Amino acid sequence: MLGRIIILAALAPLAAAAPVVEQEAIPGLPAVKVQDLHYGDVLFRYYQQDYFDALVRLAAYRDQGRLAAHARDAELLRGGLYLSLGQHREAREIFERLLADPATPQQVRDRAWFWLGKVLYASGMYEESDRALRQGAGSLGEDLEAERRLLIAQGLLYRQRYSEAIAELSNWQGPRYWLAYGQFNLGVALVRAGEAARGLELLDAVGSLETRWPELMALRDKANLAIGYAKLQAGEAAAARLALERVRLEGPQSNKALLGAGWADAAAKQYEAALAPWQELQGRSLLDAAVQESYLAVPYAYAELGALAQAVEYYERAIAAYDAERSRIGESIAAIREGTLLAAAMQAGGDGREGWFAQLATLPDSPESRYLYHLMAGHEFQEGLKNYRALDAMAKNLADWQQSLGAFTDMVETRRRAFEAKLPAADARLATVDVATINGRRDALQAGFEAAVAARDITALATEEERAQLDMLDAVDAELARHAGDASYDEAREKARLARGVLLWELDAAWKVRSWQASRALRDLNAAVYDARTRETASGRAREGAPEKNAALARRVERVSPRIDTLAVRVEEAKAAQGRRLADIAVRELEDQRKRLDEYAVQARYALATIYDRTAATP
Amino acid sequence: MKTAFITFLAALAAAMPAVADEAAVPAAPAERSALDAEVQSLRREVVDLNRDLFMLEEDLLFPASTQVAVFVSMDVGTFFAVDSVQLKIDDKEVANYLYTEREQDALKRGGVQRLWLGNLKAGEHEVTAFFTGQGPHERDYKRGTTLQVEKGVGAKYVELRISDKASKLQPEFVVKVWE
Repeated sequence: MLGRIIILAALAPLAAAAPVVEQEAIPGLPAVKVQDLHYGDVLFRYYQQDYFDALVRLAAYRDQGRLAAHARDAELLRGGLYLSLGQHREAREIFERLLADPATPQQVRDRAWFWLGKVLYASGMYEESDRALRQGAGSLGEDLEAERRLLIAQGLLYRQRYSEAIAELSNWQGPRYWLAYGQFNLGVALVRAGEAARGLELLDAVGSLETRWPELMALRDKANLAIGYAKLQAGEAAAARLALERVRLEGPQSNKALLGAGWADAAAKQYEAALAPWQELQGRSLLDAAVQESYLAVPYAYAELGALAQAVEYYERAIAAYDAERSRIGESIAAIREGTLLAAAMQAGGDGREGWFAQLATLPDSPESRYLYHLMAGHEFQEGLKNYRALDAMAKNLADWQQSLGAFTDMVETRRRAFEAKLPAADARLATVDVATINGRRDALQAGFEAAVAARDITALATEEERAQLDMLDAVDAELARHAGDASYDEAREKARLARGVLLWELDAAWKVRSWQASRALRDLNAAVYDARTRETASGRAREGAPEKNAALARRVERVSPRIDTLAVRVEEAKAAQGRRLADIAVRELEDQRKRLDEYAVQARYALATIYDRTAATP
Repeated sequence: MKTAFITFLAALAAAMPAVADEAAVPAAPAERSALDAEVQSLRREVVDLNRDLFMLEEDLLFPASTQVAVFVSMDVGTFFAVDSVQLKIDDKEVANYLYTEREQDALKRGGVQRLWLGNLKAGEHEVTAFFTGQGPHERDYKRGTTLQVEKGVGAKYVELRISDKASKLQPEFVVKVWE
């Protein structure tokens, strides 16, 4: 019996392996320079660990064609996001698709292999996971590479291939954080497999770690606890106590360590010494198995010391404490059955942000919240609560959309009415604009300018004033022609010739500048006419297309509405079922506690009766 | 009394299996109940629905012909820690955003925030942004930047980029227009 007990106790901390494979973040996205602002927007959500919103935006932007420059990075991220939400099937499909595409660059490929390996690992497919992980080496960063090797080692460990797992962890070059987890898991597995010496050596490496990092300190405590109980099992009380003394006095493992330290003393027949750690436990929460145990251990030590009066007093105190706790558990079970537990759990945080779990310990002592801290320490309850929270968030999301959709319907209808109301005025305004005529006039101007340039007709670009002067000179020439041969007009003829010469000389001098100015003015006119035609076309299209577009939007709103309603019903049903499941887990757990307390109470009464019998039998 | 010792440990053993069994199970159990499968399926469907609604909302409220989006990005960010940004379009305030630590961190890591999504008519518009935060030597820092933007027929994206001007050991604020 003792052997079995110690093994179980020693293996208890194996759950420490969980953070390694279940961490929420998706590390090691390849570093990219953002070339699509919308991809950057997805990353902005993702870096804030808002995975749901990041996934929604990623899917929407992808379908809108806004992630063209990051197509493969985006797919890798999408797979990672599904993985972080626990959607293994979707994640796996995405990674496999990326790997099947020969155009996927090596850097993305390495990560896809790594994450595929991680999905397979989490699904318990260790052989396949191993194959994928071994292909993913190469361009992974230091942390990912360390995690990859650790996953390979743990996969081997779960398949009980211990020597290969040890080989995988030897000559470790990566960060110490990962190595410590690897050594711990392997050490526990070896102890479990009966290879205590090799296992304890690994555990001792973790148990002697010098660190200020809280996670590693917690792991060190677990390692020392495992060593302590294993040594107790081996009958090495002194070595057990040494290991257990390395466990911090305040921490999740401290109760078990104190209890074990007492048993180590008791095993060495040092009952007085054993009383110190056991009495320290008496002031702690009675829901903890080690604390419950200490209520029996203390009078046991007194009895062994021959102090029967104290033993009787402490046994009676134990029975009273067990009874009080039983009745409190009864109240809590009743409260849970009434559904108050979930409300308390939802209020108590637990959104995965730092420090939420520690806060649970400070919740008010009410029937619905008294045992939350204890319940949430259990993997099954925690996982169930995670799902319950997800369903609650989905229900709220759907309710918000249901409300928005009503506004969308109103908006589409208002837009339709506004369009119909504005249409006659818009049509009237459009009718006053004749872009075709303007276009024709522009063409004529262009042709005239081109002909003048081809013939270098300098008079074609004359100003109004010059044109008037030319006309006047033409008239003067005509008048002079009527007096041909009359010498008295010779001076006038000479003046007219001179005047025409000066005017043409000026026109010729101005030709270069004027032809350039005219060409630029024509270019501007072309642009203006083009804009006018574009706007006329757009207005026409809008006029024709707007009702159709509006009707299409109305159809989309109409189609999506039943989807929301159906999903809302399914989510509510699943949420209720999940709530029942959580209540069942909680009640089962508390019933177990109550049963255990019953057993303890029986033991206490039996021990008490034995003492009374002995005392009565003593003359 | 030896009996009592054994009994106590037996009781301790009774307390342990729940933890020990859990420890023996791989981190994510391969077998999922029907309820877990339904939760998975719902999550997938709700993501798909949200994607469709996200696009519908955008098509309805911000059609491409008038859509303008203004983004904020940060390149390195050694010389400036952004506290808030105020955005004005044609001298009218359209956004005033105060950053949380998480958001600042997300910007530094390469995230790009879609600060404002709205509608503008075709033609010229003036986009002005005022950034406040901590500049070099942790001094309070406020800087503005402005740009004339020509809104055409399609959607227009404007990026407000905070970058480091290493040569002057000062932050630099740039407005860039994307088509």
